[in-house]
Amino acid sequence: MESNSGDPGPLETMATLNTVEEVARGVFRHRYVAPAIADGAEPGQFVQIEVSHLAFPVTRRPFTVSRVMEEEGAFEIVFEVVGRGTAILASSIPGRSLSVMGPLGRGYRTAEGSWALIGGGMGAAGFPFLSERVDVRLAILGARSTEQLLPCEAGELLIATEDGSRGRCGLVTDLVFEACLDRYDHLALCGPLPMMHAVVEFLTEDVLERTQVSAESRMACGWGVCEGCVIPCVDGYRKCCTDGPVFPASDIDWAGWMELCG
Amino acid sequence: MRLREPTAADLRPELLGTAFRSPILLASGTAGFGLELLRMDHLDGVGGLVSKATTLKPREGNPPPRIAETRFGLLNAIGLANPGVDSVLSDILPRLSGLPCPLLVNVAGSTEQEYGLVVERLEESDLPLGYEINVSCPNVAEGGMLFGADPAAVERISRRVADRTRKPFSVKLTPNEGSIVESAAAAEEGGADAVTVCNTFLGMSIDWREAKPQLSNLTGGYTSPTLLPLVVARVYSVSGSVQIPVIASGGVGRAEDVLELLSAGARLVEVGTLLLRSPDDVCRLTKEMEGLLE
Ligand SMILES: Cc1cc2nc3c(=O)[nH]c(=O)nc-3n(C[C@H](O)[C@H](O)[C@H](O)COP(=O)(O)OP(=O)(O)OC[C@H]3O[C@@H](n4cnc5c(N)ncnc54)[C@H](O)[C@@H]3O)c2cc1C
Ligand SMILES: Cc1cc2nc3c(=O)[nH]c(=O)nc-3n(C[C@H](O)[C@H](O)[C@H](O)COP(=O)(O)O)c2cc1C
Ligand code: FES
Repeated sequence: MESNSGDPGPLETMATLNTVEEVARGVFRHRYVAPAIADGAEPGQFVQIEVSHLAFPVTRRPFTVSRVMEEEGAFEIVFEVVGRGTAILASSIPGRSLSVMGPLGRGYRTAEGSWALIGGGMGAAGFPFLSERVDVRLAILGARSTEQLLPCEAGELLIATEDGSRGRCGLVTDLVFEACLDRYDHLALCGPLPMMHAVVEFLTEDVLERTQVSAESRMACGWGVCEGCVIPCVDGYRKCCTDGPVFPASDIDWAGWMELCG
Repeated sequence: MRLREPTAADLRPELLGTAFRSPILLASGTAGFGLELLRMDHLDGVGGLVSKATTLKPREGNPPPRIAETRFGLLNAIGLANPGVDSVLSDILPRLSGLPCPLLVNVAGSTEQEYGLVVERLEESDLPLGYEINVSCPNVAEGGMLFGADPAAVERISRRVADRTRKPFSVKLTPNEGSIVESAAAAEEGGADAVTVCNTFLGMSIDWREAKPQLSNLTGGYTSPTLLPLVVARVYSVSGSVQIPVIASGGVGRAEDVLELLSAGARLVEVGTLLLRSPDDVCRLTKEMEGLLE
């Protein structure tokens, strides 16, 4: 398996926002021109965006690289407005130049074989990039409503929406419980912690061993120095920003993580 | 009035037996042990680096969440997570030989003895210029800022350290409890070569909708550029009451803030929260100050 390095690459770059699209109410897709990031990024890695050059917010905000367009030297993120930082970012207009750090962290260990992706809400933001690099046979996606569903290329696509506006009325986990996941060589899982926990509880040990999880944690630096972003793992705390954000599912202390952050 | 007009000479301060190329120090806990910045080649224009707190035994630190951003600042409750002095000596310091600026190792302990023991061990390495003795961490149950609030304890700890090293050391004081002026005088009396004014301000943030604290530790250390005046006031009063140099720490958001702290009496100025956001901005501070002083 190819393992993506956790080395911080070229760090701060000025990226020019060139396309803004509101893909659903409160969900935005931004395309930034920043060749250094577009060239270096691997699926599962993230960027830290300085949403404002004013004094506040005092830290950057992390977003998964959703796709790269190498010819254009551009990358995309997809994000939901949940608070002040994302609201400021969402109000940016094309042409704005922002300081971006990245690509950061360890992405997916991309390997040959068949993949199944399981994503809840913004957890699917990184799947377009991953599906360009690996053979995705199945994607199981969930969202509150059809509007919030993120696109994903896959042989087979199973969808659940909480309001029943598309696919199954219910949660991603309902679909996961019915799917035959032993068939796939690799699984990628990303979404809200309670959803990921429910999925992991359901997986057999054998499938769990083949599952990679993209974790989220509150970050102050994003490049490994502050020790702020730790995730409880079976061998102690590990930094989400440099040891992750993608971890083997079996490395995580799920009960401990749920108890603290669920 | 003791306020000073900073000059170009203040941007190349000489103290602690060293000629610094800039008054900017990277604050403890915001630069790790320097390995990341070294690898990124992001240490231009930086006078020195203060390491993450080092303790005798490895410390896992507090449970997450350890970070919460509030409207105008940042709360952290890391809890002195570090690999312990053995690992710092064997795995980390040997990899820092290319560090282009002096290193101060930040030392913490849960007992008074521990400070002396850690310093004794660190003496095995020639690499650090000296130490910053952290008697002011707000995020640990034992020791931490309780020591810093008690001048007698500050003096005893300073003496323990002074007895074990010929290298210079600064004692990092707390703004939260006790009198920072008295603690500074106690550090001087105990043999400290400088005092760092100051560690983080104790804070707390609550998600009132769920009546849940934002940090698992409940409280944390608060940092924000809005705190600059509080730090300026403390630097001013401490520098007026001790002979040893004052290292300022807290509230720097831009080059002018550093000059203000120098004006209040600081000789070196630490930058923490700004570094987490932008190493580039921090590297630029010295050049920007040169411009402002022209
Ligand atoms: C590696 C990584 C990749 C991410 N990728 C994406 C993505 O592709 N798309 C997307 O929409 N979001 C993503 N997030 C989450 C995103 O970073 C947060 O939603 C954002 O930081 C919130 O900022 P805010 O100022 O709007 O919210 P705040 O006002 O700071 O907080 C609002 C809410 O968001 C939570 N929050 C704050 N910071 C974080 C954080 N760093 N991670 C998770 N939750 C947080 C808070 O606990 C609070 O409940 C990612 C997070 C990480 C760590
Ligand atoms: C994430 C974080 C971790 C810190 N860890 C330590 C530490 O281990 N030891 C210490 O003496 N101070 C620690 N501090 C305090 C800083 O060294 C500094 O005094 C403080 O952040 C004030 O400066 P600022 O306003 O520039 O951030 C920490 C601060 C932050 C934000
Ligand atoms: S966010 Fe600072 S170490 Fe991970």
